[in-house]
Parts: sequence; C-alpha cells; structure tokens
Amino acid sequence: MNLLSIDRLNLSVDGKPLVSELSFSIAAGERLGLIGESGSGKSLTAMAATGLLPRAIKATGSVTLGGQLVIGAPDRMLDGLRGTVAAFVFQEPLTALDPLLRVAQQVAEPLRRRARRDGRDLDGAALGREVLTLLEQVALPQPERIARSYPHEISGGQRQRVAIAMALACRPQLLIADEPTTALDVTTQAEILKLLDTLVRERSMALLFISHDLPVVAEIVERVVVMQRGVAVEAGPVREVFGTPRNDYTRALVAAAKAFDDALEGRA
Amino acid sequence: MRAVAASAPRSRGSATLWLGLLLVGLHVAVALLTLVWTPYDPTALTGGRLAPPSWEHWAGTDRLGRDFFTQIMIGSRIALIVGISAVAIGGLIGVTLGVLAAFATRLLDDALAATLDILIAFPTLLIAMLVVAASDTASLGTAILALGIALSAIVARLTRILAKRVLLMDYITAARTSGTSRIGVVFQHVLPNIWPTLSVNFALQFGLAVIAEASLSYLGLGAPPPNASWGRLLQEAQGTVYTAPIGAIAPGIALVSLVIGVNLLADGLRDIGDPTRRASR
Repeated sequence: MNLLSIDRLNLSVDGKPLVSELSFSIAAGERLGLIGESGSGKSLTAMAATGLLPRAIKATGSVTLGGQLVIGAPDRMLDGLRGTVAAFVFQEPLTALDPLLRVAQQVAEPLRRRARRDGRDLDGAALGREVLTLLEQVALPQPERIARSYPHEISGGQRQRVAIAMALACRPQLLIADEPTTALDVTTQAEILKLLDTLVRERSMALLFISHDLPVVAEIVERVVVMQRGVAVEAGPVREVFGTPRNDYTRALVAAAKAFDDALEGRA
Repeated sequence: MRAVAASAPRSRGSATLWLGLLLVGLHVAVALLTLVWTPYDPTALTGGRLAPPSWEHWAGTDRLGRDFFTQIMIGSRIALIVGISAVAIGGLIGVTLGVLAAFATRLLDDALAATLDILIAFPTLLIAMLVVAASDTASLGTAILALGIALSAIVARLTRILAKRVLLMDYITAARTSGTSRIGVVFQHVLPNIWPTLSVNFALQFGLAVIAEASLSYLGLGAPPPNASWGRLLQEAQGTVYTAPIGAIAPGIALVSLVIGVNLLADGLRDIGDPTRRASR
C-alpha cells in the first residue's frame, strides 16, 4: 500500500492555478525527490499532503495519506495522521523552532505525543532520557548542553539537527524534507544530507525530499519528479531522468549542474 | 551584535524592574495592612474639619474630620482590586476573542475586527459609563465589570494582530505537521509568544482601569461613598482644593505612583520573560 498517493492534484488561489494535474505516490520505505525552481509548487504540494494548506488555496483531486483521504477531511481526523504517518523538516532552521522554548522542551513535545498515541505515558526522567538519545542520534555535540539551550544560542546546523530530531520524535513512516539544506552553508549541507540519508535508511522510513538543488537530490533519492510552474514535466528513476533528460527544463537543470561541476574542476 | 542588543535592555531592565517592584510592593503592602490595621477608623471623626497635615494626621483630615491618610491607604486596596479584576475580565474576554478572530475565516475575522474598531473608537470611559448606566445600581462590582468589558476590545484587537503574526511562523506549521491540534498550538506556542507584548499592554490597561475607576467615582458612577476610592477623594477635594490642597495632592500622588509602578514592573518582567533579551549564560 502506498503511504502517500497524490492523484490529479490541482491547487489554485482565486482561480489562478498553482499546481495542475499532479500525480505521484510513495510506497513504504521509498525515497522520492520533488525538484523544481522556487514557486513551482513543491512546498504547496507537501503541505497539501497533510491537509495544511492556507485557507485561501483551493485543492481538488485526491490525496491519500496513510489510507485516509486528506482533501475535505476534518482537521481532527488529520491531526492523528500528522506526525504518525508523515513528519516534516523545513528549510529555515531558525524560524522552525519556537524562540521561547528550550531545545529539550521542543523535542519532548512530539515524543510525549507519540508515546500517548501508542498508549503509554512518557514523563519526567524517562522523557528526558529519550530527548537526549534523540539529540545523540542526530549527532549533536554535547547533547546535555544543547538540550538546555534556547534556539538562538545554537548554530544554524545545530538547529536543523534539532528540527530533524523533532521530526524523528514522531517516528513517522514518511519524512517530508522541504529544502532542508538550502539555508545552510555547503559543509553543513553535506553533513545534514548524510545524516538524513543514514537516519532514513536505518529506520526504513519513506522520504519525500523537496529541493531545487539537483546534485543534492540525486544523492539521496531513488526516483524524482521534476516540476515546472506547477506541472510535473518529467518523472522516473534518478539515473534515467538525469542521465537522459527528455524534457527541455530538466535538460537545462542538468546542464546547469554540469556546468557548475566543470567550472569547479577547471574544465570550462 | 546580539551581545550589544542583549546587554543594553538588561541593565535598564533591572533598574525599571526594581523601581516597579518597590512602588507596586508598597501599594500591595499598604493594601494588605489596611485589612488588619489603619491609623484611625476610616469613618470615625477624629479631628477638626479640613485640618492641615500634622503628626496626628499625616495627610490632614477631610471635610467631616475623618483621617485622610487612612482613606488614602484604603484607596490603595480598592485601586488594586479594581485594576486586577478589570484587567482579568478584559484579558479573559479580549484574549479569547482575539485568538478566535485570528483563527476565524476571512469573513468572520473581518466582521470581528470591524466591531472591535468601532468599540475602540469610543473612549473606554464612555463605554464603562454606558455599562454602569445600563445596570441601575452603582457599585464597585459594576464598575469593575464595566471597565473589564470596555478594556476587552483593546485587548482583543491587540491579541488578534499578535496571534496572526505568530500563526505565520514556521514553528507553528512545524507543530501542526507533527500533529499538534489547533488548541494545542494556542496554548503551547501562540499564548507564550504573545505574552511578553500582551503583559506590557495589561500593565497599561491596569493603569487605565485604575484611572478610569477614579474617573467613574469622580463622576459618582463608581464605588459609592463608604468606599474610599481615590477618584471619590479627588471629587470630594474639588470644592476645597484652595483651602486644603492636600486633599487633591495626596490621592493624586497615590494614583500616579501605582500606575507608574505597574508599568515599570511590567517592562522589567517582560525583559526577564524573553530569553532572547537575556544575556546568554
């Protein structure tokens, strides 16, 4: 059974189409990349997957998350799916954390909720231990110190690791990563990417990786969907799509990435 | 840059905090003291009429010969009760309405916002007077309720704007995607994040409520005579302000010191409550 299947999804605001006739699906343990320039509707598609679109945006078509129809479903029903079936990591690690809560409190919240959903109580020292375990799993140095810190006291890369820890705390079947490395510097990017890759494999989670960065996507997913102006222009296994791109836009993306690589290696 | 930004309000913050604590603490202490002890029985005629300040009567006596200092002290208690209850009522109604408006559909939100704007266009005192007039008995309770209702519109509008801004933040989306319900988001993220700004506004409202109650009492719409509200003392001093100016000066000083104290205290507390304003450990 597919964890997430999107079938002929249309998103529009005031009659202006944002995403048109988009279809793709992700099975358990599968890793899919959603590529496209900014404004191509990637992030909106991800929000539509969990039914958290801004009210002004109208959605038609069908979105099924964990066997439950999302479009038109009441919020209360979807709250149960969010986190358990799919959890998110966002682009901007500073704003993704509540500035008034210590890291430990932010990570504890989804942990406690997941435990409650599994029908057990998680509190006090046991909860604290699980928070630290998670912070260790996302390879944060000095987890005890980070746990006591406020978001503004730690670095961007560390914040993103905390955000990943919060997503993992939900123990989702599907991790949706929306440009998780875009706001980070290049070396941190590589580390976060490696971390995500390892974590997703270890836990055999499915992954929906959203990015405009071709090499980044190629490294971490098996299949890609290329989007341009709200339309899927090409889809298929990474090797195929990037090796022999059929669509003009995909070709342009691949050429740009290649030109960059060549320039780096002094071949241009 | 952050170090500079964090250290500047800190030194200023602690000074305002201590001065605020001192002033408010003084009023609270006096208010509590009046529950068990006052220099004189507030209703007893203890000296000549309109006597000037002396060792026996620190603020002189009023036109009936009652000790004026005793009445000022009891006024502290009334002012604190009025301020706290009015802000509590206004805060409860206002925050609830504001948060609802922030979550509401466009149409409902616009309707609520327009209603609030109209309410705010009327002076707080006028709304309070209308509420008091509508309930035909003038009592302290009615005055408090009236002020609470009048203040709630201002709180609601502020809450709505603040909550809307917080709801746009990524951490709200992050919380929602991980399964936090709307109500959960309100209590875990929205209210704590708007609290620093809201609390300063509550302090302003407190001052407003105390002054408005004084005005209501001054107009004879507030606490009826046995209650020594500062506003009523001011009103009574009106006719004798040239012969016994202490009658207007003393309640005036009491009123101003409490209002300033609460504002300073709120300012100082806000600086403590916001971790980004504190110097990091």
